[in-house]
This record gives sequence, structure tokens and C-alpha cells, in this order.
Amino acid sequence: MDFTTKDVNLKPDRPTTLLIEKHSDYLAKYGTNKDDYEYCMTEYLRMSGIYWSLTAMELMGESHRMPKEEIISFISTCQNKESGGISASFPHDPHILYTLSAVQVLTMYDRLDAIDVDGVVEFIKSLQQEDGSFFGDKWGETDTRFTFCAVMCLSLLQRLDAINVDKAVQFVLSCMNFDGGFGSKPGSESHAGLIYCCVGTLSICKKLDALKVDDLAWWLCERQLPSGGLNGRPEKLPDLCYSWWVMSSLTMLNRIHWVDNAKLEEFILACQDAETGGFSDRPGDIPDPFHTLFGLAGLSLLGNSDLIKPVNPTYCMPQETITRLKLEPQILKKV
Amino acid sequence: MHGRVKVRTTEEEKARKEKERQEKLKIFKHAMQKIFHKRKESELDKELLELTGKVLSSNPDIYTLWNIRREILIIFAKTYESEELSQLYDAELNLTEYCLKINPKSYCAWHQREWVLTTRTDPNWEIELGLCSKYLKFDERNFHTWDYRRFVVSQCKPPLKDEFDFTTEKLLDNFSNYSAWHYRSKMLVELFPDLEGGRPIEDSHHKHELKMVQSAAFTDPDDTSAWFYQRWLLGAVRMDVQVVVYVMTPSKTTVAFSKPVDQSVVDSRTRLFHNNELLNGEWQSCSGNHYDVLWIFKSNAVVSEEVKLEFQMEDGHLQALPSIKMNETKYVGKSSISFKRKYSKPVVEELNNQLESCRQLLAMEPDNKWTLLTTTVFLHCIDAKKYHKEVLENLRTLKVIDKLRAGYYSDLITQWSVEDQLVTDYATDSLDYKIKFDEKIISLPHFQYYSHCENVDLSNQDLDSSVLPALVMLQHCKTLSLENNKLTTLNKFPQLNIEELNLRGNKRLLVEEVEQFKKNNKNCTIIF
Repeated sequence: MDFTTKDVNLKPDRPTTLLIEKHSDYLAKYGTNKDDYEYCMTEYLRMSGIYWSLTAMELMGESHRMPKEEIISFISTCQNKESGGISASFPHDPHILYTLSAVQVLTMYDRLDAIDVDGVVEFIKSLQQEDGSFFGDKWGETDTRFTFCAVMCLSLLQRLDAINVDKAVQFVLSCMNFDGGFGSKPGSESHAGLIYCCVGTLSICKKLDALKVDDLAWWLCERQLPSGGLNGRPEKLPDLCYSWWVMSSLTMLNRIHWVDNAKLEEFILACQDAETGGFSDRPGDIPDPFHTLFGLAGLSLLGNSDLIKPVNPTYCMPQETITRLKLEPQILKKV
Repeated sequence: MHGRVKVRTTEEEKARKEKERQEKLKIFKHAMQKIFHKRKESELDKELLELTGKVLSSNPDIYTLWNIRREILIIFAKTYESEELSQLYDAELNLTEYCLKINPKSYCAWHQREWVLTTRTDPNWEIELGLCSKYLKFDERNFHTWDYRRFVVSQCKPPLKDEFDFTTEKLLDNFSNYSAWHYRSKMLVELFPDLEGGRPIEDSHHKHELKMVQSAAFTDPDDTSAWFYQRWLLGAVRMDVQVVVYVMTPSKTTVAFSKPVDQSVVDSRTRLFHNNELLNGEWQSCSGNHYDVLWIFKSNAVVSEEVKLEFQMEDGHLQALPSIKMNETKYVGKSSISFKRKYSKPVVEELNNQLESCRQLLAMEPDNKWTLLTTTVFLHCIDAKKYHKEVLENLRTLKVIDKLRAGYYSDLITQWSVEDQLVTDYATDSLDYKIKFDEKIISLPHFQYYSHCENVDLSNQDLDSSVLPALVMLQHCKTLSLENNKLTTLNKFPQLNIEELNLRGNKRLLVEEVEQFKKNNKNCTIIF
């Protein structure tokens, strides 16, 4: 039997206020040294890295510190002429994960003209399967993450009609579990990250009512541990990124008050690196852009800071972008 | 990046490490350059296989490199002898195994394994199943391994019972294995459905599982895994969707369902009759969604006599609901309702036994959240009416001892109190709704059940503006009181035909906003 404590202790000397300037500096500096080891070794996910950094910067109102034109022309080079899909970086292969990241970035910049949009639509369309699911690329891996990527991407392009939305929804619902949650494919265990993907898909397709709302929301609020942090599955350690996966889902379900917001805020703030800026997965770990975005986005959902702009819980993009596109993803009515 | 602790190092050590990294980086960059160059030149050969293998051995997540390997293997498969090809595939499996040792959560490596086994003509599924069992010994919660196991099982199709027994084995080894409980839940309903009673799980197995989960929960009450499974078992009863109330007036016809239903269900399974003649019309969701609990029937029919509704239930039964003529033009049909869970007799007996054990455990540890919550859920499930007071008291205690989830318990108090009153209200023909319990409500659960009411009194509660959209259920309401609540804005107030609205005593509501609201709703008398 496992008797180890599955939580962390917050130290008295932890950061307790938002170090916004430090985070802006951290992200502005990230990637300026092209020979940095960490930077080079993460080339295979570069496009998502750009999305994490830019979105975080947008939420702080600091996106002017990002090299906009360089990013836009980088994205152009990453689109595959043949398939229309976009890769993480040139000359890697196109994949739906990075296609979404690229479209999100260009949407925030309002520069979709930099890519062949019809090509992207064709690429995504080609990945839908008979059962409604989506491959990540032509090699056939299936995952509910890819369904969310497809649906989100096409909705940002105002082209949802290109795929069979009903079938995509049916596939997602076929992944529902005894606890009301979702995993990566039918039969897979519930996981907060994949729950976000599935709830997000239903939010975009306006089918949230098909959920077992109370079961799911209870499971989600039980992710909160005494430290205030959230884990992604029962009996796991807390991790800052679940502040996003869990809280965005609870926001879409209109049950955000089922967790202790103040305690969570304390945990999120404790994950800041007071020296370098940036957020890490747990207090005292090395920060990265991924957790920096989800820390800031989590704080935005909690809504107590004027320094962070409102984030859209479905898209994980600034609400002002989603409003500009006139998108209205569903949020459940409170009853 | 997950779980990398930041360590303080001396400047010297830092410099040494950086030098080491730059060396590594140089080799890495060179290899990547060579790989992409060879690919561009279409040199899909053994050398490229070797190069990509080397890089992947320490970086298993570089997805493009796996793609390149598949391209090479596909070409080789066209010309190689079967034995040689078989060796290549084995080598590929070895590589994935090596990569999974470095990163057991590498999506790419797991997928490559799946690809090899579905591509080669001589897969050995026994070995794969063994590999899963071995990996689950290292990490019993790795969901990739469990997913892979399910993939292997879908291919080699061992008896489902074997897999069920595997979860028993894993759980007896360690009850704190949520992954195993999860897998078990899937097979339980498939192996042992209750064919006679139409319940999800056959009685004796339902009972057996309840016993098993209780011994797990009692072994370590602080471990959460088993409690979720138990909560599911308690909810594993028939919960058929039904029509709860419908209203027909010359201006509006509405039908409320016990749970959200989608357009196709309403279109194909709900029928309204006037003098035994089917009425034609269109169904529209009350809030404009595909799923809704309240639907509006758009029709030109003028109704003056007997009205009836029929709803085809999930199990094929027909719910026939006559109506009562409330006044000259208003017909209301109400179903008899119950929130009681319909367990079989043996299961109820088991629940009572377990309730007793829980009470004993609670006497020893009155502050254990899980024991108290379980006791409370048992009480509610066994006889919500009888134990209502005790249930509420427990929930109030839970708000204190499990403070993190106080909001959840508050909502449960409202929901279960509303349910308690609803059953009484539905026994009368009144068109008035007023909260009749002391607990102040903070939300409006089951509000569609009151969609037929004309006079709705929600005064002196703790409702804030977030509940306003739910008022859209009050399609037949004439007077509504929200006096003495916590409204802060009327921003999301839905379009309704209310004649009188009382907003007094909402101290944070701005006068300007109410004035504007008055202007926009001239047909309504607003008291503020």
C-alpha cells in the first residue's frame, strides 16, 4: 500500500503576489537565444510553444514584446503545401496539434492571410474517420484531443460545416465514463486534461447538456487538494496546469464555486519563480512557457486581478479575440 | 516540463553543465540535419533507420522521426523476405520498449508499437498482453499502458471475464488503483447487465461490488479511489427521462422534461393530442439549444377541449399524460414524480447494512469527510424523505470539515431541499410556487418542474444574478418576486411575459439599471 502524501506543502517564503513584470520578461527572453539547449530540444513542439507564450503575453497586455512578423513568416513556412496541415517547425511533418496552435496564433494576430486557409480545412477534413473521431495526422493515432483541435480550429476559421459535427460529438460522448469524465478514446480512464478537450468540444458544438453534469463537476471539484492545488486524476500530485484543465471545465459547467478559489489562487501564486519569472508545475520546480500560460489563464478565470485580461474558458484565448470573431461557445446555465 | 526540481548549483558546476549540454546539442543538431537531408534526397535506407533510432532513444517525442521510420519500413516491406522483415519489426518493438523506459508516457512510442503490431502479419498478442501486465507492475496508474492493454485486448479478444478478474487481482493488490476501478466499471455493465429489471447491473453482482468497494474504502478511508466507484454504484439505477409537466394556453404550449433531451427525442417521441387528434406543430428549445429541459410547441391549433400528451420512453413504454382544465383556456398535465432511487430489494438490504457499518465507523471518527459523505449519500439514497433532516445536518457539517468543497455541499442542500418540496407540491393542483423550507436557496435546480406556475415567490433567498438565465423556465409566470435576494445586475434577465416583478431589497442593484429595465419592459409592473 502507498502511504506517501500525495500533495505538496506551501512554504512560508513562497510568492504571494502576482509578479507580472517578471513573467513578461521571462517570456520576452525565452527563445531569444537560438542556441539554448532547452529551446533546441523542444523544436518538435515549437508551434505550441509560440501559442503558449503569445497567449500568456496577450493576457498580460504585453504581446508587443513578441516578434510578431518573425512569428507570422515562421508559421507560413510550416504549412505543408500538399496536405495543407501545419507542422511544429520546418521541416517537421504536419500535425493537427500544431495546426491548431498556428491558427490560434494567427487568429490572435488577425493574420489568417499568412496561410492557405482552405488547405487547413482540407487537412482537418481528411482526418475525420467513419466513427466521427479524428486522426492526429495520416498515421492514424486517435485521441479526443484531436477532436477538440479539429472543432476548435474550424470554428476559429468559421468553417465548422466542413466536417460531420454530429458524428464528432457522438464520438466524444462515446468516451464518457462511469464518473462522468472522459479519456482519450472510448474505454480510456477519465483525466482532467482530456475532460477539458471533450467539454470544450461540446461547448463549441453547443451540446453541453449531454453531459452528466453533476457527476462530472463533483469529480472535478474533488481534484482540489489541501494545498489548494488541483490534480488531474484521483491520488495524483497537484500540478499547476490542472488549474486550467479543471477550472475551465468547471467554468463551462458553471460550477466554478465548487472549488475553493482563494486556496487555489494561493497555490497558483506559489508556483511562480520569483527569480526568473514564469510559472512551474509545482512550487520550487523549473518554470516553462506552458505552465506560465496556464497559471495566468487560471488566475484570469478566478477573476481577481486587474492585471490579467479575461480568458475564454473554451478556447484558452483572450475573450476579446473570441468576441471579435463573434464566437459564442456554450456555457451551461446555472440552475 | 513536469516534476523538474530547481536545484542551486555553483557557478563552476553551472559552467561545466552548460559545456556538456553544448556538446550534446552539437551532436543532436548534426544528426537532425543529416536526417532531414537524407529524407529530402529520398535516401530511405538502413542508415536513416539507424540515425533516427539513435536520436529517438534519448528523445522519444520527436514525432517526425517516427514518421520517417514508418516510411522506411513500408518501403522495406515491399522487398524484404518475411523473416528479415520480421526481425526488423522486432527491432522496432525493442526500440519502442527502450524509449518507453525513458518516457513511459510517450504518446509517439506507444503509437509506434500499435502501428507495428497492426502492420506486420505475424503479431504476437500474448507477448503484448504480458508486456502490459509487466508495465502495470512498475506503474499501475499509467493510462497509456491501460489504453494499450485495451487495444491489445480488442485485437486478441481474450474472454472479457479474464480481464474483469485481472482488475480484481490488481485491486486486491492495492485498492488505491483508480485505473483498475475504472476498467472494472466498463466490464461490469457489459458482463452482468440486469436483463430482467432493466437496471444497469444485475442484483447479485451489484451487491457483490458494493461489498467489495466497502471493504476497500474501510481499508483506507482517506484514499479516494474506491469512493468514486461506490458513488457510481449507488447511482446505478433506472433513471428514465419523462415528461413532468406540460401547459397549453392559446398563446403558448410548453413541455418540461425531467432531464435535458435533444431535439430529435422531442420531435420523434413527444405527441400532443386534442380530442384524440394529433396536433401538428414545431418544437423549439426554450433557450435555443439542441438539448433542453423545457420545449415550446409552436402550433396554430386552437384548443377548447380535452388535451393529452404521449411520450415514448427510452424502454419503449408510453407515458400518457392527460390534462386538467385550469381555467377557460389553460390546460395543465402533471405527471406523478419521485426522486426515490429504484433499487432492488437485495440491494436495499445491502445498503442498509452498509449504512449501519458507516455509522459505526463515523462514531469512531466523526470528522472523517469520506465516512460522513458516504453516510449522507446512503441516507439520501435509501429514503430521502425519511432522512431529510439528518442529511441536511450532515451536509452542513461537511461544509465545515471539507471546506474546499463548501460550494458543492451548499448546492446539494438546495437541490435536495427543492426535491423534498417538489414531491409535495406535485400532489396539488396549485399554480403558485413558494419556497417552504428554512434553508435559503442559492440556485434553481429542477426549475422546469415549476414552468406551469403563474405566481412564483422566490423572496428572502440567497439568489444572485448568475441564476437569472434560468428564469427562462417561467414561461407561464404572471407575478414573480425576487424580493430580498442578492441580485447585482439584471443583465441576463430573460425575455418573459411577466405582469408584476418584485425586485425590492436587492441592495446592490443599481437604480439606473432598474429604471432602464422598466423602460424595456413597459408591460410589467416593477416594484423596487
